[in-house]
Amino acid sequence: MSVTDEDREAVRRHVARAANMLPAQGPIGAFVARNPLEGFEDRPFEAAVEMAAQLYGAEPYLAESVYREALASGRIARCDIDAVLDSELGPSAATLLAGGRVRLIDVLRHLLCVGLRHESDAAVRWTLTESDTLERLRDDLTGPCRARLLAGADPRLSGRAAERAVAGDLWHACVESTAGGRAALRHRGPPVRPRDLIRAVRPEIDLDDLVHPRLIRLVAAHLDQGVADWPLPGRSQGLLGAAAALFSRTGPCEPWTADLGGRFADIAARCAASEPSADVAIDVSVEELTSLGMPREAWADMIVASLVALQGWAGMVRQLEERPDLMPLVRLPTCLADFLALRLVFDGAAARWAARRLGDHPPARNDARGLAALWSELADRHPPDRGPGALSRALLLHQLAQLLGLSAADLRDLEPREVTGLEAVIHGFDAVTRRRLLHRAYERRLTTVVLDALTAMPPAPPPAAAGPRAQLVSCIDDRCESLRRHLEEVAPDVATFGAAGFFAVAMNYRGIDDWHATPLCPIIVRPAHTVTEVPDGRHASQHRSRQRARRWVGRVRGLFEAGTRSLFVGGLVTSVGGAVAAVPLVTRVVLPRWTANVSRSAAAWRPVRTRLELDRMTPEPLPDGTLSGFDVTEMAAIVRRLLEDIGLTSGFARLVAVVGHGSTSLNNPHESAYDCGACGGGRGGPNARAFALMANEPAVRARLAGDGLVIPPETVFLGGMLDTCSERLEWYDVDRVPATHHDDLGAFARDCDVARARDAQERCRRFDAVSLAIEPAEALRAVEARAADLAQVRPEYGHASTALCIVGRRRRTRGLFLDRRAFLASYDPDADPDDAILTRTLAAVGPVCSGISLAYTFSRIDPRRYGAGTKLPHNITGLIGVMDGHAGDLRTGLPLQGVEIHEPVRLMVVVETTAVRLRRVLHALPGVERLVRNGWVHAVCWPPDGGRPEVYDPSSDRFVAHGGAAARLPVVARSADWFRGSRAHLPPAFVGPVGAGQEVPE
Amino acid sequence: MTDVVSLRQLESWMVVLLVAAPAGSLAAIGIPALVGRPPSERVTTRAVAIGFTVALLAALGILVTAAWRGFPEEVVHLGTLFAVGTHAATIDLVADALSIPYVCFSTGLCALVNAFAGLYLHREPGFTRFFVLLSLFGFGMNLLVLAGSIDMLFAGWECVGISSTLLIGFFHERRAAVAAALRAFVTYRVCDVGLLAAGVVLHHAVGSGDFDRVFVGAWPTARCLLPETTAGLAAVLLVWAALGKSAQVPVSGWLPRAMEGPTPSSAIFYGALSIHAGAYLLLRCAPLLDAAPWVSRLLLAIGLVTAVQAAVVRSVQTDLKGMLAYASMTQAGLILAEIGAGWRLLPLVHVISHAIIRSLQILRSPSALHDRHELAASLGGPPDAVPPWLVRQLPVRVQEVLYRVAFERGFEEAFVGRWLLGPVVAGIEAAAALERLVVRRLGGGGDVAGSRRRDRGAS
Repeated sequence: MSVTDEDREAVRRHVARAANMLPAQGPIGAFVARNPLEGFEDRPFEAAVEMAAQLYGAEPYLAESVYREALASGRIARCDIDAVLDSELGPSAATLLAGGRVRLIDVLRHLLCVGLRHESDAAVRWTLTESDTLERLRDDLTGPCRARLLAGADPRLSGRAAERAVAGDLWHACVESTAGGRAALRHRGPPVRPRDLIRAVRPEIDLDDLVHPRLIRLVAAHLDQGVADWPLPGRSQGLLGAAAALFSRTGPCEPWTADLGGRFADIAARCAASEPSADVAIDVSVEELTSLGMPREAWADMIVASLVALQGWAGMVRQLEERPDLMPLVRLPTCLADFLALRLVFDGAAARWAARRLGDHPPARNDARGLAALWSELADRHPPDRGPGALSRALLLHQLAQLLGLSAADLRDLEPREVTGLEAVIHGFDAVTRRRLLHRAYERRLTTVVLDALTAMPPAPPPAAAGPRAQLVSCIDDRCESLRRHLEEVAPDVATFGAAGFFAVAMNYRGIDDWHATPLCPIIVRPAHTVTEVPDGRHASQHRSRQRARRWVGRVRGLFEAGTRSLFVGGLVTSVGGAVAAVPLVTRVVLPRWTANVSRSAAAWRPVRTRLELDRMTPEPLPDGTLSGFDVTEMAAIVRRLLEDIGLTSGFARLVAVVGHGSTSLNNPHESAYDCGACGGGRGGPNARAFALMANEPAVRARLAGDGLVIPPETVFLGGMLDTCSERLEWYDVDRVPATHHDDLGAFARDCDVARARDAQERCRRFDAVSLAIEPAEALRAVEARAADLAQVRPEYGHASTALCIVGRRRRTRGLFLDRRAFLASYDPDADPDDAILTRTLAAVGPVCSGISLAYTFSRIDPRRYGAGTKLPHNITGLIGVMDGHAGDLRTGLPLQGVEIHEPVRLMVVVETTAVRLRRVLHALPGVERLVRNGWVHAVCWPPDGGRPEVYDPSSDRFVAHGGAAARLPVVARSADWFRGSRAHLPPAFVGPVGAGQEVPE
Repeated sequence: MTDVVSLRQLESWMVVLLVAAPAGSLAAIGIPALVGRPPSERVTTRAVAIGFTVALLAALGILVTAAWRGFPEEVVHLGTLFAVGTHAATIDLVADALSIPYVCFSTGLCALVNAFAGLYLHREPGFTRFFVLLSLFGFGMNLLVLAGSIDMLFAGWECVGISSTLLIGFFHERRAAVAAALRAFVTYRVCDVGLLAAGVVLHHAVGSGDFDRVFVGAWPTARCLLPETTAGLAAVLLVWAALGKSAQVPVSGWLPRAMEGPTPSSAIFYGALSIHAGAYLLLRCAPLLDAAPWVSRLLLAIGLVTAVQAAVVRSVQTDLKGMLAYASMTQAGLILAEIGAGWRLLPLVHVISHAIIRSLQILRSPSALHDRHELAASLGGPPDAVPPWLVRQLPVRVQEVLYRVAFERGFEEAFVGRWLLGPVVAGIEAAAALERLVVRRLGGGGDVAGSRRRDRGAS
């Protein structure tokens, strides 16, 4: 068979297009939250979501019932529904329907707000014979509506009898009205994959059940990062080559694989002969598509559908093709074309096998034309969607007529044309449309509440003359919002700032116990510097002996672990080792916190004091191409960059703490999803430590002073790291703090300890199993236990509930209770005349925060397709991902236990600047502008002079000032007064001195 | 003397408690759930925890009193199901040197997994279902271990089987989970026939299923009273039964698939208790094996083949739970081989020790990334992937072929499909065809449409 260049080009193009539709998730060890629909960001949000829902068979929005519950609980207000319908319908809202008896907007409002029963004809028939539902009026009718309906009843009847007569009569009228019409046939295109075509007629034959287990095991064996002791032979030649070599020998396999041996032998020979093998993969794909009888115009859809059918694995192959550096241990050549070719070879064999079992005239073994005819016959037989039947439509009309107060007589008076018109409105307002509008209302409520709160914030007090006692720079992370707020409450003379948690230090970092360096910077940056943690001079020998001890322990543990799995040694180890394993088995489960403390003290046996090798040691690059450390110019640039970003260029306190964050939890494959996103799913402590060292360096300060940024000599920077799970706060290089600052540090550390205990208390209110009455000290112990417990599937809630990002001066939001739902980036618009700082801040903050918010949102909306589902059956595969059970697709996205409390809303990014300036900045950032313009985030500008916030409206491309009555913000003295006793999301409040003009909650 | 008697009395009460306590918690949460009022999470875990804690205390109590008295065999007679002449089916529990240590460890493990699962399954739909099944399993396991007759043992065996099946299919909204549960269920059913038939053989031979009517002496030195042929028949049927539960070749394919359930149930079933139920059965009936040496040799061969096959297949597994499943299978094979080789105490120790190690490993399996990172950090680099010693001794070309064999899991699937299931399915299809043929002949040779026409004519 000859393959033309044109065909090759077509397949290449289709593969490249399909690649964008696969989940963009790399190995799970460095989890970075990204928008699962990144490939659709060039489309408007709602269109993209609904298109993706079709493609992946996913949910576009939450279920209608969830929105209705929100409506019942007040989470969505009636005014939100009205506002959404008004803006959707425009002037046509008042269109009259049903002969002028009802307005369009009323019909739609009922359809949105009331959960009407949509049932099939058969179900309606059952209801008719088995229950009296259709002989009663709805319970939720308004008084006048009910009265109007009952007015038409026979005056001799009363009570139940009248109701029965009216409802029954109405039902008959509905049946009569709908009997004539017919719902339009909706022709969804038939599926293109043979597997789907065959399943539609023979549901018991699922070709993917044949193909997937083998394909999954192959890909997993190819990409394995160290689970299997025996790697796939020849896997360094690529997936297709290795798989073909493996399968070129036939064995006593299932019948459908009988023809595969020869085919794979041929492919193996071609792979071995040509370099690189990617061309072979393309050729094989073309051959398979052709011999399967796929017409050329169906190739594009066929390739997308084939890859999406196993999207987790296909996406992983694609990620590793683009970024081989993400493979944690073994770098393997892999490419999506190989995966596709392999999949098509298997699919082809399975389809041919199934085709021989279908129909009366099965096509011959290699008869492409016969197969093509079979597929088109199956496509013709594919059942169209006939839409709701007459009874089903009558049921809907029956419910709606009651809500609208249309009696049987009214319905009988209508012209057939008017009935058709009413029905067209009802059926045109389909489930997806309803959910879209309900989702808009759901988001609108939150937006309104937050913007009201921003409007109602008291004007920022002028900065105190004395200046702050200490300053804290933390990550912009929403989990740091509460810590900062609590610290500000505990110590009103402390100021806090938020910056992306790698603190402008992009580096490869190798800790004292690490065996290799890992990048600590945003995933899109490839660091050019490597920093190593080394033992401090006097501790070198202690470090060596500790290393030796650790190596011994590691070796024994490794041997024991491997021993329990092997045959000969295993027999010995498992017969005598039980007593050893019984101790951790019991203590880990029964006394998790105690066990963790014991093992931590064991690990901290003879601690080694360390320092960072931050200076440039040699000018030559290291073997991995990076430079060792930083020189003075680079350090000065980093320090200046961060301080300018957060607007801290003067008024330095005596102590400036820089705190990165990470998260430690046990038995949690998704652990790194809780680490710092700005550090590429790593822990930001070393970055904070490096930054503090740089800023303390006299040479750096001299260089900065020369350029006009004067850091007074009495200011000391201090690095730290917050564990967002156990709430532990660790300070680095405390021994280097000069004696003059010991008191400052002591006082500040004590404040931080109070603040983190209160933070733990605030976090605990979200955990169902923890008492709402818990005190801060207890809460601290509770979160520590969570971090150490093997059985804990919710060590922390991560970014769940995040909804807001505020870029601006902390002065303006200080005291605002944001419920750990806001990313807070510090930015001073007054110090940024040319918007250069805002541009670079938004360039980093925009994609990172929207990525996190959309990852949580989609994982919550559809945990099955976009999220990783429940953690309980997760099974780590190849150390690169998790799958459900023994051979499933890789589960991408976040696990259900991490997103269950998340409210799926798009992020609202509030930027303290004017509309004109924001527009100009966005114009310079095409990526961010695309997100804003297509509505993937809500952009709001908050004028620095104190004007009302202005919301960007994508449909009109304008910033619209937030209207509404001046709301008042509840005021409480402490955060705990506001959050105690509640597990739900809380609206904003002002935490501070209770003063005039503010409302005090009871 | 009175002391000893009252101690015996106490011990028999505790034996009953061992079975009754899990049954009590099963009823306490199962019955409300059945009438549509499932108890809250807190009540559920409390109830099950009380059941297992009481049972565990009873087990430890028995261990102490029995050790004090030197592990005499203690039979607790609870009643008789029916008795016809010399035939009787009794409800007996037995506490002896085999069942006492085993029941201590199985109850302890159940209690631990219960404590673990209370947190692990928090807020999961199916929370109550999990604990109902866990207490059913605990009850079944203790009944199986303490059974004094093959009838009681069968009852416990079935409880273990059904709870195992339903927990594999715990996430019943996923097709793969249900298919895996069905696979395990079918394997269990097919192999349970062996246990049932062995019971029939014993009843036929001695008129009772009571072990003390079949064996004399205390475990492990008991002797069998049956003639060699009868003993051999019963023993081979028991081996058949044990193959399914302990996932031995050629019916081991269900085990890796069984990892579809929640992690805690995988740990206790396929790392610890359910997988070793077969070994326990054979240990309990070891005198039969002693009386029929050819069955012992068969068991030895099956165990060794399974151990080698599973060890080789294990070394190519890339998913944690699958790898642990094959590692369990390796040891289960070795344990059966040890029993086949005539050892008694070694396999008992091996079972308990292996179960503890493996269940900890499965419970910890979501930590693999963490553990591997720590190991690599302490060793100064990741450990090398080294194929098993057995494999390294082979020439490269043979290794490549062997990899394929391991990848296909020893072609067991294809073998079972073609040689075991194939003939059965073909037989069923042939029978169906024959039936259609006969019906058509009897019905006068008409087709379906014809008979419909006749129906209409008659009415």
